[in-house]
Amino acid sequence: MKRARLPGIVFVAAAAGVAFVVLPLVALVIRAPWSNALHELSKSSVRTALIVSLEVSLGATALAFALGMPIALALSRSAFPGRAIVRGVVLLPLVLPPVVAGVALLSGLGRSGIIGDALHALGVSLPFTAGGAAVAAAFVSLPLLVLALEAGLSGVDTRLEDAALSLGASPWFALSRVTLPLMRPHIAAALVIAWARALGEFGATITFAGNLRGRTQTLPLAVFEVLQTDPAAATILSLLLVAVSLIALFSLRGRFLVQR
Amino acid sequence: MKRCIAAFSLLLAACGGSSKTEVVVFAAASLTEPFQAIGTAFERTHPEIGIRFNFGPSDGLATQINDGAPAAVFASASERWMDAVAGKRGVRQREVFARNRLAIIVPASNPAHIASLSDVARTGVKVVVAARGVPAGDYARQVFAKAGISAEANIVSNEESVKGVVQKILLAEADAGIAYETDVSAAVSQRVRLIHIPDAENIAASYPIALVGSHASRSAADFIEYVMGEGQTVLRSLGFLPPS
Repeated sequence: MKRARLPGIVFVAAAAGVAFVVLPLVALVIRAPWSNALHELSKSSVRTALIVSLEVSLGATALAFALGMPIALALSRSAFPGRAIVRGVVLLPLVLPPVVAGVALLSGLGRSGIIGDALHALGVSLPFTAGGAAVAAAFVSLPLLVLALEAGLSGVDTRLEDAALSLGASPWFALSRVTLPLMRPHIAAALVIAWARALGEFGATITFAGNLRGRTQTLPLAVFEVLQTDPAAATILSLLLVAVSLIALFSLRGRFLVQR
Repeated sequence: MKRCIAAFSLLLAACGGSSKTEVVVFAAASLTEPFQAIGTAFERTHPEIGIRFNFGPSDGLATQINDGAPAAVFASASERWMDAVAGKRGVRQREVFARNRLAIIVPASNPAHIASLSDVARTGVKVVVAARGVPAGDYARQVFAKAGISAEANIVSNEESVKGVVQKILLAEADAGIAYETDVSAAVSQRVRLIHIPDAENIAASYPIALVGSHASRSAADFIEYVMGEGQTVLRSLGFLPPS
């Protein structure tokens, strides 16, 4: 018989930890007024919020990827001074209270923000728009995306890139024909994790983009609004979000952060 | 290990050793400034009682209380949400302790040149109100109806509490908001301008207060008495109207 690798107490503690996560979610399922579920989910306000959520979260993911991919490449493939500081700053939104992120976005990109006038001159007005909601969601999901991409890049053998370069490939050729194709599964995983974070965004969104049905009211905002007056209906909406998030995470099949 | 446990239980004893009776007060967001002042004054005259506040939109507070939140006192910005708590948890000693009026608030620079309610309905004006269900949001819509204007198309955000409306105007992100007259407190008066709404178009918001449930303590009743008595001076000084 194989000897146990871990003391038994670790498994007991781990089980308690899993219960800590699972119990509240199971409670949602138990407490949900299932007899009303179809009625609640078929409300036009729910469909509207779902559509806004999908648009905003996909837009946010695209924006975060456009900004995050170059950051991840620079952080993992070059040694420039202040790299640790850059990484710290980029990861900051991960630990920042989202409401603070929203206020920061207003101070920077809002109508009276420091580059608000410049944006206005370009005809861009972000607060109270779906674009603003996407910017808020991108701001908070960017760190997760960078982390996931960096983890992926560290798994790509740099000797393959070196080989391509030494055979005369340009850096662009090596990046687009060697690094990125090897990165493909990690990119997919990073996109899903960023999208899931964007989908759940609440604090920065309500602060920066406000709450208007059909424009900036995403599912989490709709849940919060309904929760004020009808907790039972909010449970059903919450489960819809849980279901979408579960699908997203299962689609990763454990690819994120677990590298074996 | 044993020493740890001993130290830990000492710590617990020290924490629980306070002999203060705690009174948990759930109060409408618009009551934040007066109730904090009243709470401090009350604790000074009642050193044996500690007041713990939970400020928020009255609809959300009522829902929390009906879900079992341990509130001893509820102070609502509308009769509607006091009725909701009365219907489910039961209330005692219910009385109106203040009234308030609605007002237009604009950033100090008044970017959309708002002077009256009809300006709020002008095309292109960005208006922020509280969400429906939130007292300030329901009152705002009543005011629009009374003034015969339709501003719904101008609304860019339905905030979860009246403080959210003030915040958006404070940051000058919206052109106009509908809040209470008392919301332009000393803290924000530099950056937010108040435009009065004439009586004919205005409404008087009643603030009821009550003990929640049937087990509320003597101390909680004392706090309500204090709000009805000495607390009135504070409320008046911050612009709240007398109960009747």
